[in-house]
Amino acid sequence: MENKEIADRLLALLTDVAPDIDPATVVPELRLSDQFDFDSMDTLHFAIAISREFGIDVAERDYAQLASLAGACGYVQSKLAARG
Amino acid sequence: MRIDFRMPALGADMESGTLTQWLKKPGERVRRGDAVAVVETTKGLIDIEAFDDGVLEELVAQPGATVPVGAVLARIASDSASAVPAGLPAAPERPPAPTSPPSASPAVPSTAAAPGAVASRRRISPAARRRAHELSIDLASVAGRGPEGLVRLEDVERLAEPALQKPQRTGMRATIGAAMARSKREIPHYYLAHSVDFSAARDWLSGFNASVPVDERLIDGVLLIKAVARAVSEIEGFNGHFLDGQFQRSEAVHVGAAIALRGGGLVAPALLDANHKDVKTLMREFSDLVTRVRGGHMRSSELASATITVTNLGSEAVELLFPVINPPQVAIVGAGAIAERPWVRDGVLCVRPALTLTLAGDHRVTDGRAGSRFLRRIGELLADPAKL
Repeated sequence: MENKEIADRLLALLTDVAPDIDPATVVPELRLSDQFDFDSMDTLHFAIAISREFGIDVAERDYAQLASLAGACGYVQSKLAARG
Repeated sequence: MRIDFRMPALGADMESGTLTQWLKKPGERVRRGDAVAVVETTKGLIDIEAFDDGVLEELVAQPGATVPVGAVLARIASDSASAVPAGLPAAPERPPAPTSPPSASPAVPSTAAAPGAVASRRRISPAARRRAHELSIDLASVAGRGPEGLVRLEDVERLAEPALQKPQRTGMRATIGAAMARSKREIPHYYLAHSVDFSAARDWLSGFNASVPVDERLIDGVLLIKAVARAVSEIEGFNGHFLDGQFQRSEAVHVGAAIALRGGGLVAPALLDANHKDVKTLMREFSDLVTRVRGGHMRSSELASATITVTNLGSEAVELLFPVINPPQVAIVGAGAIAERPWVRDGVLCVRPALTLTLAGDHRVTDGRAGSRFLRRIGELLADPAKL
């Protein structure tokens, strides 16, 4: 899957999880907690959405990698690559 | 008997609300806990629930009207001879049974008698609604381009580009300010702090979460809510309301969970009967509550009925907070960030994930000794999470 497609799908998931976020304002490299006051419930909802969308298991210890959109993108890429 | 369905007080300082939409039409049967109307307050859109079974007879207020607290919204022919007046805040002992979340678009047709009074619910994001209000834009004129016609912030802004301003939650900020000023004016607060070793809770959570699918996992905050619910049901003086010059204890434990809204502001709707629910049930309800609060769909029973509040600053916050009691409640428990700290255990210095709990108590009802017992009990319960 192309990086751009993963990034687009993650942005859509993010705004599903947090519809009060304006997607145009998301800076991929910034932490979601700093940009949008993301908390542990948001992170869990984001992890659930990623797990369903991409069919990958998101372990709790991996949540830290979902802290930013760019981080989440790299994480999903690596999980998909590992799956082959 | 015929009862009035009134605008409820959804918070200590609410004076009025704007009726946005009727979800039922005259002649329709309503059951206790059914959402009957949607009201906009400074806390967002609130589903106002019926407090008894009956038939909706007459709609008194029309959508768009600003209605004072206590004024009649509609009349209901109640099935019960001893009906509780509908629309009044739930007595803490008797909230409506929690219902499943309202569907996004209940098929409720308009009526000829009140054109437009009952319409299918249009999905509008809270950010879009807020911005439209700020910019004085009629939402009916905004085409929703999100999923299923959702009106998003950008849809509103597209229509109003010349007039764009930074959003301000002035209404909610004023409401919080008024409630907290009243609290500080009227309630003689005392404050206690107690640090607890969170490693047992952490270990238990990690084990549990590793054993279940991602959508059944728990978060730290839900263990805290359950521990507070258990402790407050065991130790007198912290669960209830201070009304008419005296403390009125509540048998039911409805834990208000302070939920921050993005961009500022917070609300603290209740998890009803939290002491009687297991952590998995509480987690499902908490997750649903957070989603609905941020999506702008709280229920009146959740807003009016909390008997104690928990405020949890989250994992990236500071270690200690001094919360302000939400009147008419008499206690609030605060949780700082869970962080690794030096800890002495059995005479050995080690590093542990630690959590500092704080209590703001009301000196009209309790004092530090009772407060200390309460906080310590929460710590004991968190040390044995499997039994929560």
